[in-house]
This record gives sequence, C-alpha cells and structure tokens, in this order.
Amino acid sequence: MTTSQRATLPEQRRHAMRVRKRNGDLEPVDVNKIVRAVELWVADLDEVDPLRVATRTISGLYDGATSAELDKLSIQTAAELIGEEPQYSRLAARLLAAFVDEEVRGQGVASFSESIRYAHTLGLIGDETATFVARNAGELDDAVDPRGDLRFEYFGLRTVADRYLLRHPQSRLVVETPQFWLLRVACGLSRTAAEAAGFYRLMSSLAYLPSSPTLFNSGTRHTQMSSCFLVDSPRDELDSIYERYHQVAKLSKFSGGIGISWSRVRGRGALIRGTNGRSNGIVPFLKTLDAGVAAVNQGGRRKGAACVYLEPWHPDVEEFLELRDNTGEESRRTHNLNLANWIPDEFMRRVEADGDWSLIDPSDAPELPDLYGAEFDAAYRNAEKKAVKTVKARDLYGRMMRTLAQTGNGWMTFKDRSNALSNQTGEPGNVIHLSNLCTEILEVNSDDETAVCNLGSINLGAHTTSEGVDWEKLRETVRTAVTFLDRVIDINYYPSQQAAASNPRWRPVGLGLMGLQDAFFTLRLPFDSAEARDLSTRVQEEIFLTAMEASATLAEQFGAHPAYPETRAAKGELHPFLWGAQPAQVARWSALRERIRESGLRNSLLVAIAPTATIASIAGCYECIEPQVSNLFKRETMSGEFLQINTYLVRELKARNLWTPEIREQIKRAEGSVQGIAELPAAVRELFRTAWELPQRALIDLAAARAPYIDQSQSLNLFLSAPTINKVSSMYLYAWKAGLKTSYYLRSRPATRIQQATVSVIPALTAADVCSLENPESCEACQ
Amino acid sequence: MLLDPGMDLTLRPMKYPHFFDRFKDAIKNTWTVEEVDLHSDLADLARLTPAEQHLVSRLVAFFATGDTIVANNLVLNLYQHVNSPEGRLYLSRQLFEEAVHVQFYLNLLDTYVPDLDERAAAFAAVDNIPSIARKAEFCFRWIDSVFELRELRTKDDRRAFLLNLICFAACIEGLFFYGAFAYVYFLRSRGLLHGLASGTNWVFRDESMHMAFAFDVVDTVRQEEPDLFDDSMRQQVRDMLTEAVECEVQFAADLLEQGVSGMSPGDMREYLQHVADRRLAALGIEPVYGSKNPFAFMELQDVQELSNFFERRVSAYQVGVSGNVSFDDDF
Repeated sequence: MTTSQRATLPEQRRHAMRVRKRNGDLEPVDVNKIVRAVELWVADLDEVDPLRVATRTISGLYDGATSAELDKLSIQTAAELIGEEPQYSRLAARLLAAFVDEEVRGQGVASFSESIRYAHTLGLIGDETATFVARNAGELDDAVDPRGDLRFEYFGLRTVADRYLLRHPQSRLVVETPQFWLLRVACGLSRTAAEAAGFYRLMSSLAYLPSSPTLFNSGTRHTQMSSCFLVDSPRDELDSIYERYHQVAKLSKFSGGIGISWSRVRGRGALIRGTNGRSNGIVPFLKTLDAGVAAVNQGGRRKGAACVYLEPWHPDVEEFLELRDNTGEESRRTHNLNLANWIPDEFMRRVEADGDWSLIDPSDAPELPDLYGAEFDAAYRNAEKKAVKTVKARDLYGRMMRTLAQTGNGWMTFKDRSNALSNQTGEPGNVIHLSNLCTEILEVNSDDETAVCNLGSINLGAHTTSEGVDWEKLRETVRTAVTFLDRVIDINYYPSQQAAASNPRWRPVGLGLMGLQDAFFTLRLPFDSAEARDLSTRVQEEIFLTAMEASATLAEQFGAHPAYPETRAAKGELHPFLWGAQPAQVARWSALRERIRESGLRNSLLVAIAPTATIASIAGCYECIEPQVSNLFKRETMSGEFLQINTYLVRELKARNLWTPEIREQIKRAEGSVQGIAELPAAVRELFRTAWELPQRALIDLAAARAPYIDQSQSLNLFLSAPTINKVSSMYLYAWKAGLKTSYYLRSRPATRIQQATVSVIPALTAADVCSLENPESCEACQ
Repeated sequence: MLLDPGMDLTLRPMKYPHFFDRFKDAIKNTWTVEEVDLHSDLADLARLTPAEQHLVSRLVAFFATGDTIVANNLVLNLYQHVNSPEGRLYLSRQLFEEAVHVQFYLNLLDTYVPDLDERAAAFAAVDNIPSIARKAEFCFRWIDSVFELRELRTKDDRRAFLLNLICFAACIEGLFFYGAFAYVYFLRSRGLLHGLASGTNWVFRDESMHMAFAFDVVDTVRQEEPDLFDDSMRQQVRDMLTEAVECEVQFAADLLEQGVSGMSPGDMREYLQHVADRRLAALGIEPVYGSKNPFAFMELQDVQELSNFFERRVSAYQVGVSGNVSFDDDF
C-alpha cells in the first residue's frame, strides 16, 4: 500500500488519538514527532520512508495508549515492512536499540562499568568479573563501540534483547545494552583489559560468536558456558538409571543440550533376577526422561532438550523408532526427546546384502556398546546365537527411514567411522558411545565421565568480499576463538561431577562455521558447483590447521592436556591423514606435526560444525554450512515471528529493476522459489536455488569433502520436500558410503499448506484441469 | 450429477478422483491434541494487558463452540446431499478433523480458564455474550435454511444447498475463523501464546483444506449445472458475505473495545473486507469492498516456516510416507 492511500484512511481517528506520556499526561499523537524519531536513524538507509512508518504506526494505535506502547508499535511497524524493503530491518533494529538504551539509562546506568556494578548488586554478576571490571573501569568503558548496534538486523537484536541481556530480577527491565552485554561476555573470559577489548571487538563485529551458553552466562554468578554434554548409557540397573535422570536435570538447568545413550539397558521381556520378574523395556524409562527434560526450564530461556541414542541391535529398537509418532498409545510416546540411531557398519553391510539382523539383549552381551570396528563385528556375530529376535536388516532400515521421513527424527549416526577417525580413541577402552543433541560432537565418555564441549562459530560471510576470502583475517579470528574456547574450560562451572571429571582431562572444544551460504552468494557460486566445494574444503582446512596451530601454541605455554598420551595425535596420527585426505597446505601440516611432537596439543579436539540456529540470527548470516531454505520465509521463535528475506537476491533484483510488487508476489506464491521467474537469467536462478531445489547428493559431497578437516563432526541437515522411502533410503546409504560420521535432521514439508491470505486469488481449477494419478483414465492431460 | 438424490456406493470407476486426492492429502496432515504444548501460554496469559486478556477470553469463548457448529452442519446438511462416495470420504475425514479441533479448544479452555464457573460461561457464550450470539444466530439461520430438505429435487433446492455450503465455507470457516486466526497470529507475531498459535496453525491448515474442498464441490456442481449460478444467486452470495462481515466487525468491536496496540478496529474491518473479497474472487464473483490487507503479520502466514527445534515442535512433517527400501533412487 502506498503512503498516500494509507494516509487518507483514518483521518478522523488520527485527530482523536492521544498518547499517555510517562508522567501520566495525555497528549495528542503527533505524526511529525514520530517522523523525527525515525529520521534520526536513517542516514545510511536511502530506501526507508519515515512518514510511512509514522502513519502506519498511528493506524494501529488506540486512544490513550502509553508512549512505551507507541515506541514498541513503531518498532513493530518498521519490522513489518521488511518484506518490501529489507532496509526496514536495520531501522527496526535501531529503534529497538534506542528503546533498550533508554530502559537501561532509566535505571541510572550510564556506562559499561556502571551496568556491571548495578547488575552485581542485583546478584547477577559474579564477584570475579565485578572486581575485574571495577579495576579496569576506564579502559573498558572506552572500549565500547557507540556504533556497534548499527550492525544488527532486527531479528538478531530482538533475540538479543529478549533472551540474552541480563534483566532485573523483579522489574524484568534489562540492565545492560547489547554492547555492554558483549563486553561483559568478553570480561568473563579475559585476564587483561586489552584482551577483553580485543575479544569484544571481534564479537561486536559479528565475525565470530561463542555459543549461547557462553553468551548467556559468561561473567555471571553461574558460569556454565558449555553447549553440549554427552552422557553414557545408564548401567543396566535401577540406581544408575535414576542417577542419570538427576544428572540430566542438572545439566539442563544451565542451558546444556544433552545426548544420552540408552543401549546398555535391557529390553522388554528380559529377566530381572532380583525380583524374578520381566523387564518392561526401555520405553517407560524414556517416558520418565521425557517428562524430566520438559520440566526443566533453562532459566526461562528455552525448554530443556535431549537426544537419546540407541544401537540398532537393541531388542526395543522398533518401539524406540515409534517414540515420536503422533498416533498410538500416549504412554509410549516421548514428544520432547529427540532420537538418534548409533549404527555399526555391520548393520549397513547387512542392509546392502539384504541379510538378517539379530536383536540382542544387552544383558546377554554387555560388551557390545564398548566395541567398534572388527572387534564389534566379531562380538556381535558371536552374540547372535543369543538373539531374542531376528529381523530382515532392510525391514529395520526401512522403519528407520520411515521415522526420518515422518518425524525428521531418528538421526543416522555411524559408530565405527566416528570411533575410528577420532583423536580421542588412541588407546583401547576409550570409546565414543554417542553423539550429542545436534550430532556434531563426538567425544569419548564412560560411566564416570560425561563429555563436555564448548562451542563457537566463525561467520564466514564477515570474512568474504567479492574478491574472495580474507585468509589472514580468518586465521586471526581462529586464533582468538581457540584461545577463548580453551579459556572456558578452566572458568566453567560444571553442573555434574561426571562432567567436571572429563573436561579438564581432554579439553575438547568445537570451533564451527556459519555463513557459508553468504560466502557463496557473495562470490556467486552455486551451492552444488565444484568451485563451491573446493572453497568450502579450503576454508575448512584453513580453520582446522590454524586451530591446531593455536592449540599447539597453547600447549607450548601451558602444557598438553592431561589425556594427550592417550590420543592418536600422540602417535603422530593427525585427523586429515587418518581420513586419507590430501591437504593443500602440505608444508604447514609438516611443521605443525613437528611442533606437536615436541609439546603436544592443549586440546584433544578442536573443530565441530554446530547448527548455530540462534547465533547465526544474531550475526545476521545463514546457518552453519547450510544452503538457504528459502528466499523468503519466516522464523518462529519465542520472540515472535520474523520475515527473512534473501538480501543478496533483493540486491540482484533491484539491479535488474525487478524488485516489483508483482515479482514479490510471485516469490511468495512459489514459497520463496525464484525458479519460475522467467525474467531472471538461468545462471541467476541457479545461484538462488533453495535447499529444496538442490540435489541432496551435493550437500553430502560437500560435507564429505570438508570432513577430513573436522575432527568432531558436522550437523548436516538434508532436505526432501516430498520424501519417499525409496529416496530416503538411497540417500542415507550414500551418506554412509561417503564416509560421513553423522547426519542430522531430514527436513520435509507439509503435505498441504495453509491457504495464502495475502497473495491474489487464482480461481479454483476446474475438475477437468486437475491431474489425478488416482484415476489416469479420467485425465486427458496424462494421455 | 453430484447433487442428484441417492446413495452412490461405487468407487470404481471413480467419478470425482480429485475428491479422493483431497481425502488422501488430508490424512497426511494428521495431528493430535497431545502434540500441542500449551504450557508456556500460562505464563504469557499472566503477562497480557487487561485489554489483551479481554480479547483472549472472548476469542476462546468463540472457539468453544465454533467447530461444533460446523460439524453439525456437515452431518445434518452436507453429507446427505453430496452424492459421491469419494466426496463423502473427504467429508468423513473433515468430520474427524472438526472433532479434533473441538477437542483442541476444549483442552485450551480447560487450560486457560481454571475457574469452573468462568469455564461454563465460556462454553455458554452463544447464549450470554451478545457479539458471539449474533454470529451464532447467523450460523443457525443458514443451518435451518436447508434442514428440512431431504432431497435436492428442484433447481431452487440445489441453490439453497449451494448457499448453505458457500455460507459455511466462505463465511464461517472462511471469514469467522479467519478473523479469529488473525487475532491469534497477531499475538504470536508479538511472541505471545505460542501454544495457542501452534495448535491454531494446524487448525488453520485443516480449515484451508475444508474451504478448498467446499469450493471444489461448488465448482463441480457449477460445471455440471451452469444455470444454477444466476445473477440472483450471485447477489445472494454477496449479501450473505456482507452480513457475515458485519457480524465479524461487531465481534471485533467487542474484542478490541479496551484498546489493543497494533490492532485497531478500523484495520480489522479492512482485513475482514479484504478476506470477504477473496472469497468472492475464488467463487468468480465481483468483489464488494476493494479493501487491502492492512495486517503485515498475516503475510507471515504465507511463507514457509522454519522453527528452531529447541523452541517449538516443527509442524512440517507428513504421515503416511510411502515406498520401499531402495539404493539407486535419485535424491
């Protein structure tokens, strides 16, 4: 709608409209005042129309609204125009930043050090950070970038404001601005003011962000900053099962995502000697876990989340695969748990060969979870004579595929590959038993050691120009990132003793990547091109190599991590070479190998590609290594709904004079696809394909090509809009053969959709036009 | 012909395969009330302003009986006259979906309204809340309009039937419910009542299908008997939608009477008029209002959703995926 149309509508209403000021007085709404407030922020936003925001704001207002309501509505109104002009996202972000700023200053906080002092008196900030900031107040206050907030998009800043900024325990007002928050995070991990200022500048530039638990908790009284916990299966006994519930609850409370195996617990019908009864199997126990996870609210920010891993020889595997179904007996459904299959190669080989598969009770073969590779194969074959049931391997594989297609859950993760290619499994007895909530972490654990990982992700988009990747900047970012990820290990608060027992020994970290799609768009590389694959591989090698170098430097300063002698690196086996890859930077790898031989490594693992859902939003880039899901889509979060539009595409369309209401409607109607826009050259359409339009083989190929330079794993989603068992089963067999350690969600789309409310109506097709496969005889179009 | 009296039982050869396709698609969208987590809504309800609380309480009172009315009309009026076994398969499925919606809103009221007297009052809204009574009266009048018809023998019988069908598709599911959805999505766009919104999302998806099926029936009848759709019929449809808009506008005036920032009664009226025009356009009838959609948050409903799985259940999956294990399919 144009400004002129809009402005004519509520003429009489506008005259009657009054706003209640903060002092309680009513005053008439003044359009010009809103226009002036908007104009403060639009110097570099040439496409923004302040009058339009003002008139639309007033149209949604009611008589007697408070001035705070007016401010919020103007933010919302600006945000609602993003679909027409992405610059409104910046405007909305700036209006929001101003709103937050006023809220903080309204409590008498005028500087960073004052915000820390204030939050400390409220019991939010830890003593150490408070002391550190008080001691360096001047230098730190000067470090704050007054223009830092200008870099945020609206969705990112809204997320920050609603969930990351510390709030007054009673009034719920925010007590820090976005820039104070990032500097607080830096101070919680720094030893000197200069170090804090440097780390703050990196985060404030949005070129790198640590994961959410670090962003939530650094510098606070409970410094739990790790993202992932990998809990070994309970032992096959009641006390151990209930201990695990307790442990999971404690880990969840402080924002950790949980992976937990259940492979050691006996299945339904197995004998319980103590009572001479029969077990009810794992499902009732998982139901309890489900309720426990839902009950724990992570500091009001999000619900707890856990993923249960099970090996496919477990006798309850078929019921396990039904846990997320939306029909059937509710007492055997777990809607809050995610599910993953931890698959030995022997299973996949039998699927391929169309062989039988034996289900074996863990009480009959308790050694199976601790074995992998040839040793597992031998033990499994030996245990098969005690099988409780035999199924066709393909039937079970088919059920796994059905679960994936219908629920997205039941992730395929591969046990043998994960163990054989891990730095941590250098000694017998050190076994990886599962991955984590997002399938990118692979670390050894045991009954007494819960694996822990701290994460952070580099925004590749912020390191790329149309000239290419800025390699020196990338290396600098990696070095800073590794230093601070490593720092977390010592400062971290460990919610369980098993976690505290593991992390200092292994010191693993997970440096990830986001914004790969941004880099491809900037360089105009189609996602499935050979150039894209080469770039992604080179970037990953650079990140891994630099991270290893940084860890070697840390080892030279502080010593190797205590479990270093148990690692493969101690034997000179480095991950890319385990993989059999041919690195590009041969000389640097050789030099690194020498340094490691001298001093070892500070960290047993360095790289893992996490999904980055929230921090990519904050950074305003595409998630991790994923292709774009759509050129136009919405995100639903606890903060509300947010329209996301591909700004690279908008720029392209504007340059071609194609950014018109008609084209916008066409894109909306096609659910964010541009393949039907004939005005765009084929090459441009190819560049802007969505995840649904890309061959999934390419996603797997890219993942496999970069995998030698990821010593943990990657959260690899795959996308099929209309999955069939045939497609899904072919795809995951390919993924296994490509050598991937893990995969993540299978994303698909609903069978039908809500009728679109804001695109123009196309009169219904007449019956004769509808092609029906059900009755081809009736359809002439098929003849 | 589709509206000929009788009880056709023959599925082969299939006369209206597009109805059967709709039936199959609907099954793929099966959801259950247990999947909707209303827990977080309780905290939100406490945070709402009094004006927003009033809005929500009126809204759930409408939901309390809305789907039941639709289900009744389906059984009492539609099912007996759509003489096609595959069409009746779809209607049976629709009936199931209406029942799930009724259960969802029952669950919602039980959760949102802990006080038993208030809860009973909400379920009795058609009697004691004037703005809802007015809408109910409109629905009952149209249910009654064909209630006595056992068979559609004459052209006038058939026109009366079509008007009933169009009323329930375009005015009740297509306007009253769409109006209600707008309030829900308004709240969600502000980050409020996600449980209600996620259940509504699924209801909305079902209702979109119901409306599309009804319009498909109208279209089919129109092809078979073009003379039914004369000028007077078209005018009756326009009048009916005009009255429905007025019903819904007075409901909006009630809901928004205390002032809700971001949703003015004027904008709501424009939105409803815009929706009514769309219904007319889908029926190939001239629009009445020429109004535009003023609610940008409704545009958000038209694009693909992407949820962070930590935060909410993803509604984008299908049930009934078919096929067999294979190793050489393209993907």
